[in-house]
Amino acid sequence: MKNGLALFLGVFAILGLSWAGLLLSAHKQLGSLSQFKDPVEETLYPQPLSGLADQGRLVYQDLGCVTCHTQQVRHEGFGADIERKWGERGSYARDYIREKTVFIGQSRIGPDLRNVGVRLGDKTSAEDYSEYFYKLLYAPQSVAPGTNMPSYAFLFETHPTNGRQASYQALKLTGKYAPTVGSEVVPTARARALVAYLQSLKDTYDYPTERGLNAPAEKSKEGGH
Amino acid sequence: MNPTDKNARTEQAEIDASAKWPVLVFFGSAIAWLILGGALQLIASIQLHSPAFLAACPWTTHGRILSAAQNALVYGWGMNAAFAFGLWLMARLSATTLRHGGWLFVAAKFWNVGVTLGILGILGGYSTSFELLEMPRYVTLILLVAYALIGVWAVTTFSIRNTENVYASQWYLFGAAFWFPWLYAIAEIMLLKAPVRGVLQPVVNAWYVHGLYGLWFIPMALAAAYYFLPKILGKPIANYYLAPLAFWWLVATTAFAGGSRLIGAPVPIWISTLGGAANFLLVIPVVVIALNLFGTFTGSYSALGKSVTLRFTLVSIVGFILASILNFALSIRGFAQIAQFTLLTDLRDWLILYACFSTAMFGAAYFILPRVTGLEWRSGALVKAHFGTAALGVALLTFGLASAGWNQGQMLNNDAIAFGDITKALTFWFTFRSVGLGLLFIGHLAFLINFAWIACPFLSNRATAIQFRNPPALSLTKGSASEGHA
Repeated sequence: MKNGLALFLGVFAILGLSWAGLLLSAHKQLGSLSQFKDPVEETLYPQPLSGLADQGRLVYQDLGCVTCHTQQVRHEGFGADIERKWGERGSYARDYIREKTVFIGQSRIGPDLRNVGVRLGDKTSAEDYSEYFYKLLYAPQSVAPGTNMPSYAFLFETHPTNGRQASYQALKLTGKYAPTVGSEVVPTARARALVAYLQSLKDTYDYPTERGLNAPAEKSKEGGH
Repeated sequence: MNPTDKNARTEQAEIDASAKWPVLVFFGSAIAWLILGGALQLIASIQLHSPAFLAACPWTTHGRILSAAQNALVYGWGMNAAFAFGLWLMARLSATTLRHGGWLFVAAKFWNVGVTLGILGILGGYSTSFELLEMPRYVTLILLVAYALIGVWAVTTFSIRNTENVYASQWYLFGAAFWFPWLYAIAEIMLLKAPVRGVLQPVVNAWYVHGLYGLWFIPMALAAAYYFLPKILGKPIANYYLAPLAFWWLVATTAFAGGSRLIGAPVPIWISTLGGAANFLLVIPVVVIALNLFGTFTGSYSALGKSVTLRFTLVSIVGFILASILNFALSIRGFAQIAQFTLLTDLRDWLILYACFSTAMFGAAYFILPRVTGLEWRSGALVKAHFGTAALGVALLTFGLASAGWNQGQMLNNDAIAFGDITKALTFWFTFRSVGLGLLFIGHLAFLINFAWIACPFLSNRATAIQFRNPPALSLTKGSASEGHA
C-alpha cells in the first residue's frame, strides 16, 4: 500500500459508515419512541419520574451504582432473570424513555434493579419497604447478610436526640448496627432522593404494542426485539 | 559496518533525538497514571471482598473508585503511552524527524490536566456513569484540543514522509489517530451535549467503548507487533501480502461490532445481530494476523531470550488472540446467556487493555527509551521482575477471571441459588483478583524505578551510555523487497 489518500479515505469511510449504519439507523428507529396511552385507563406509560426520584437518579449516577448493578431484565428463555423475580417480563426500549440518562449496566456483581421498586417475591410490607432501602444503604449487612455491597453511611446523619422524641425518619436499627443510646440515624436529602428513585424503578405495565416481541428467545421472529 | 548501515544509523539516531523529550514526557506521564490507576484498581478490587475498606468516605466509595481507576488506566496510562509510542514510530517509519516538539509539551500538559480534572470530577461526584465517558463534561474540550495537537503531529509527520511505501504499522497508527477523536467527539455529543433518548444511549456507549478498544488500543498493539518482530528478528513479516487484507477487514468489521455488547438488551435485535455477525467475520483477519506474526516468529523463538521487547510482544500477540476469541464467544447467544454481566465481560476488556495493549507498550518502552536517551537500563533484575510479574499476572488473571466468570454466570442462571450465596462463592475469586493485580502493581513499580533512573536528569547521570548492536539486516526475499521499512 503506497497511497496515503486511499488510506485516509478508507479510514474515514469505515467510521462514517459505522456511525450512519449503527447509530443513525438506531436513532431513526427509536429516536421518536413515545409514551403509550392505555385505551382503558387513559393513562400514559411509562409514567414520568417524580421530581425527587429524578434527583435520586443523579445520586445513583454520581455514586457509580451502575458499576455493579444492571437495569435490564432479559427476556424469558435468555437467562433466569424472570425466574429470579427481577421482573415480570423482559424490558422494552419504551420502558426507558422516561429516564434522562439510562443505566442499563453490564455487570451483575449485585442484583438487577430494574424492578426493585415492586416487591416481587418479597414479603416486606409496603410501609417497611423504604425502611428496607435505608437500612440497605446504611448497613447492608443488617438486611442482606453476606452481601459485599459497601455501606453508604455518608448518606445519613447521626444526631444526638437530647431527650427529644426520635425523628419520624430515624432508622429503626437493632443490634450491632444501632447507634449509641441517645442518638439517632436520619437519612439526608440525598438518601431520600436515592430511595425515591429506587422505589420508582418498576416496569409493571405491559404494552400491548410490544407484548408480541416478548416471546421466548427461541420463538422470536427476525426483526423483533 | 558498511557505509549504508552507518547512514541508516545516523538517520535513526537523529529521529530518536528529535523524539526524545516528547517520548519521555508522554511515557513519564503514562507511567505515573499506570501507578495511580493501578492503585485505584487495587482498592476497588479489595473492596469487593472487604466491603468496609475505604467505604466511609464518598470520594472512595466503590462505584467512584472503580470508574476513576478505569479512566486513569485508559486515558492516563493508555493514551499517553500510545502517544509516546505512536509519535516515535510514525517518525521512524516516515524517516523524518519529529519537528517542533515543543508544541507536544503543551499538548501533553493539556491532556494530563484534562485527565486529572476528569478523575477528580469522578471522585468528587460529577461522574456521568457512561462507561469510559465518566469524566465530567467540562474536560471534553480540553481533551479534544490536546488530542488535536498530538494527532496533527502524527498525521503531519506521516504526510512529510521520506519513504515510498507505507508500512503496516503506519496504517494502524494512521487509522487510530483518526478514529479516536471522531469516536470520542461523536459519543460526547450524542450522550452529553445533545443526549439521545432512552436506550439509544447504551447503543452509543457500546459503539464508543467497542470502538475505543478495537480501533485505538488494538491497532496500537498491532502496530508495535508489526514493527518490532521484523526489526528485532531481522526478517520480514511472513506472508506480508496478506497484511493489507487483514487490516481493512479487521477495522471494517470492528467498526460494526459494537452492538455485540448489547445481546439480550432492550434494543432492536438487529443491533446485536449485526455486532455478532461482525464478530464472526473477524475470525479471518485475526487468523491472518496470527499467521503474519507467528509465521515471522517461526524458527526464531531462541531470540526471545535476548530481547525483553520480543517477549512482551509475544505476550501481547497472545493477549490479542485470547481477547478476539472471548469477544467472538461473547457474541454467541448461548455463551452470552451465561457469561454476560459476569467477570468474563470484565475479562474481555481487560485482555485488550492490559494483556494486548499494555504489554505491547511495555515492550515498546524497553526498545525506545534506551534509544532516545542513549542510556542503558540500569537494573536488569528489575526488567526481569517487570516481565515476570506481567506474564504471570496475565496468565493468573486470565485463568482466574475466566473460571470465576463462568461459575458466576451459571449460578446467576440458576434461580435456586440465592444471590448472597453467589457473592460468597465469588469471594475467593475476588481475593484472587486482588492478588493478581497486586502482582502486576509490583511489576509496574519496578518499571517506574528503571524509568526514573534512565529519564530523570538528576538520577540518570550515573547510568551508562548504551552501545547498540547493529540491528540484524533485513533478509528481504523477492517480492517483499519493495515493502521494506525504515
